[in-house]
Amino acid sequence: MKLSGYLQILAVGLLISLPAAAQRNRGAATPNPNPFAGNADAIAEGREVYNNVCTACHGKDGQAGDRALALGAPARRYQRSTDPEIFDAIQNGIPGTMMPPNRLPENDAWKVTAYIHGLRGTAIDTPAKGDVAHGQEIFSGKGKCIDCHMINGKGGLSGPDLSNIAAIRKYSSIVDALTKVKHRVATDGGSHAQALFPMTTYQPVRVTTRDGKVINGILRNEDSFSLQVFGSDNQLYLFDRDKLKEVYYVPKSLMPTDFDKRLTPTEFQDLMAFLTRLAVPVPQVPRGGGE
Amino acid sequence: MKFLSYAGTHPASALLLASVLSCTISTGAAQTYQDLLKPNPNNWLQYSGTYDAQRHSLLNQINTGNVANLQASWVYHMTGAVDLEAVPIVVDGVMYVSQWNRVEALDARVGRLIWQYMRPPQTRGWQRGVAVYQGKVYVGTVDSSLIALDAKTGNLIWESKAEGEGRRMQGAAPLIAKGKVIMGGSGRGGGWIQAFDADTGKHAWTWNVIPKPGEKGIESWEGDSWKLGGGPVWNIGSWDPELNTLYWGTGQPGVDFVGDIRKGDNLYTDCIVALDIDTGKMKWYFQNTPHDTHDWDSEEALVLVDAPFKGQMRKLLIQANRNGYFYLLDRTNGKFLQGTPFVSKLTWANGMTEDGRPIVVAGSEPTVEGNRVCPSTAGATNWPSPAYNPDTKLFYLIVQEGCGVTYKSSSNFKAGMPGSGTGYMESPADQENWQLYVKALDLSGKTVWSYMQVDSNHYGPGLLSTAGGIIFAGEQQGQFTALDAKTGKVLWHFNTGGLITAGPMTYSVNGKQYVAIASYANILAFALPDAAVR
Repeated sequence: MKLSGYLQILAVGLLISLPAAAQRNRGAATPNPNPFAGNADAIAEGREVYNNVCTACHGKDGQAGDRALALGAPARRYQRSTDPEIFDAIQNGIPGTMMPPNRLPENDAWKVTAYIHGLRGTAIDTPAKGDVAHGQEIFSGKGKCIDCHMINGKGGLSGPDLSNIAAIRKYSSIVDALTKVKHRVATDGGSHAQALFPMTTYQPVRVTTRDGKVINGILRNEDSFSLQVFGSDNQLYLFDRDKLKEVYYVPKSLMPTDFDKRLTPTEFQDLMAFLTRLAVPVPQVPRGGGE
Repeated sequence: MKFLSYAGTHPASALLLASVLSCTISTGAAQTYQDLLKPNPNNWLQYSGTYDAQRHSLLNQINTGNVANLQASWVYHMTGAVDLEAVPIVVDGVMYVSQWNRVEALDARVGRLIWQYMRPPQTRGWQRGVAVYQGKVYVGTVDSSLIALDAKTGNLIWESKAEGEGRRMQGAAPLIAKGKVIMGGSGRGGGWIQAFDADTGKHAWTWNVIPKPGEKGIESWEGDSWKLGGGPVWNIGSWDPELNTLYWGTGQPGVDFVGDIRKGDNLYTDCIVALDIDTGKMKWYFQNTPHDTHDWDSEEALVLVDAPFKGQMRKLLIQANRNGYFYLLDRTNGKFLQGTPFVSKLTWANGMTEDGRPIVVAGSEPTVEGNRVCPSTAGATNWPSPAYNPDTKLFYLIVQEGCGVTYKSSSNFKAGMPGSGTGYMESPADQENWQLYVKALDLSGKTVWSYMQVDSNHYGPGLLSTAGGIIFAGEQQGQFTALDAKTGKVLWHFNTGGLITAGPMTYSVNGKQYVAIASYANILAFALPDAAVR
């Protein structure tokens, strides 16, 4: 196998499915007391308040603080992570640190909290403004997204299911996937895998068998000895690596990344409004009634 | 037990069967210091196999000519465990496996449980094994005790707390030599290494990684920045009985990624240290990464090899370091002999001075926005153990190619601020994804062969070398693989079905050689079918 080909697998990943992360983000047992959680208008207002009050220390949009930590940095673990904890830090400060009490009007503090939550959370925490129904039409029509992606059992098979995409990807990451050729999400270096997870890169491959048969498809899994490929003919192919003539890792993803050009700004915004609300409710196990 | 009820009615038969049984399994485990110095190759008595950490077994029943016939003999499921990292220990047919606060003894022929020791709190992850000596099994606990268990029953004999306030043990297997149990750890005051009496558990000495005012090395910390601590000790060391010297690695300085609040070399973090086992006094040190801002702990295995270097026989200490350099030191005095990169991308240094100090590339430090560096913080290699084969004279290691982006939380971070001030990501750039390889290096540092572990990208399992000419290498994706030690060619593989982050080992019972490895929550053992033994 060619090294250069393999190293491109992760680099061209499409919309990555991370079910474990989704559960972590959305599986809170205690209801969120923030009255503005997930409210797009309130979050936009919270961002305004944040950029007036907090940026001197924490940096614009929470990305690069000069006198205090970046609140939305990708690789950081936060001591204050729940909405009440963030709210408390805003209003009462953090004793022993430079973080002062701010005593904002209560609604403003909750809106800033919702905004910071969104910086750390996924798209469902900061859903886009726009016409959701029209966005759904774009998804199924002009955008042709449905040709490859499935939502709630309807759609194509060659891309990842998007039924829960807003719960597993950030807003900015969905925009990147629609508009940037290179939009791989780098992994957090501090994470330490404890189990094997499904392969999530949707890497296009062209496999040539020793007898010259060529199969194009999407790589569903592989290791040093075998490949599992979902063919463009919707068939599953199971290969032993040592029985193949060539495995070519197609460097270009099947995902188009010019949606900001093929759609009007309004259509794009509406598509985002639709996509950023795609989340499967967290299952709730009924209490009591057991034997 | 069926045998006992049968024996109760047929005394003569019982005697016969007892005799057979005693030939089959001896649960004595009364390993002496002499046994540890010159181990019977049928046993695997310590984490690294032998004191020199070569992880090379003299067993050769399984060899390049027959390994293709290797078969799974048994699987033991350690219920409730995940992410096992322990190297099994085998003494006379009994295997000891562990997770935090939990040790289990198995019949190493068939994987059946003999005893189990558990204590609260049950904790998962990053526990790397036990040690055995004179009928006892030793292990560190998550509540920072060193405990000694009776090897026959698992009953607790004694426990001894790590000496000093706030000291934590880090999951490494203990090392036992000259009647002392040696353990390392971390804590508020920095990393430490302690010795305990193996019979009683009584504390013998402590060596602290971070010097205090008045002690040598304090000048390497600006102001009182030594109070930041760091230098955790989380892996096992090596032991040279002839030189009466312990060799151990230490971790990164406190507040990992923020260097401007602790200017100086920050001794004795990221060091290889040589200690007198009788007193705990330091004989010499070598610092791989002075003033580290990338968390490149020097905890990688310290492999002791006697071999010629530039035409002269030397007592070498070999380490492939997390910072990307392959080091040769003279272990009699710590003198730097050689440092060569073993990864293709290394951006933070332009070689080394004559005494082994890296020539650091300006602008390599972490920034608020994130700064790219190769290798990444995860390291060019890490704790997964390397191996050395004295027949091929090659050093085998797990190599992690790739780059990272390191962050600090603010430009004037102060200790005690919220957030650890640390963070790192895999590089998002093309061709810089993390990818694991098994590589064979000769002692000049030249790569002789390289084997890519497809889809394995983080840490990964350790290696085992055998006199059968094989390198056994787990793959993070669950494959357990036998490679030809001379060429790196795959000779056999088996899908264990779980993520592997532990090192393999080998042992022999009743004339049959086994190879074993932990995978996720299971221990798996492999052997040849009788017909394939030749």
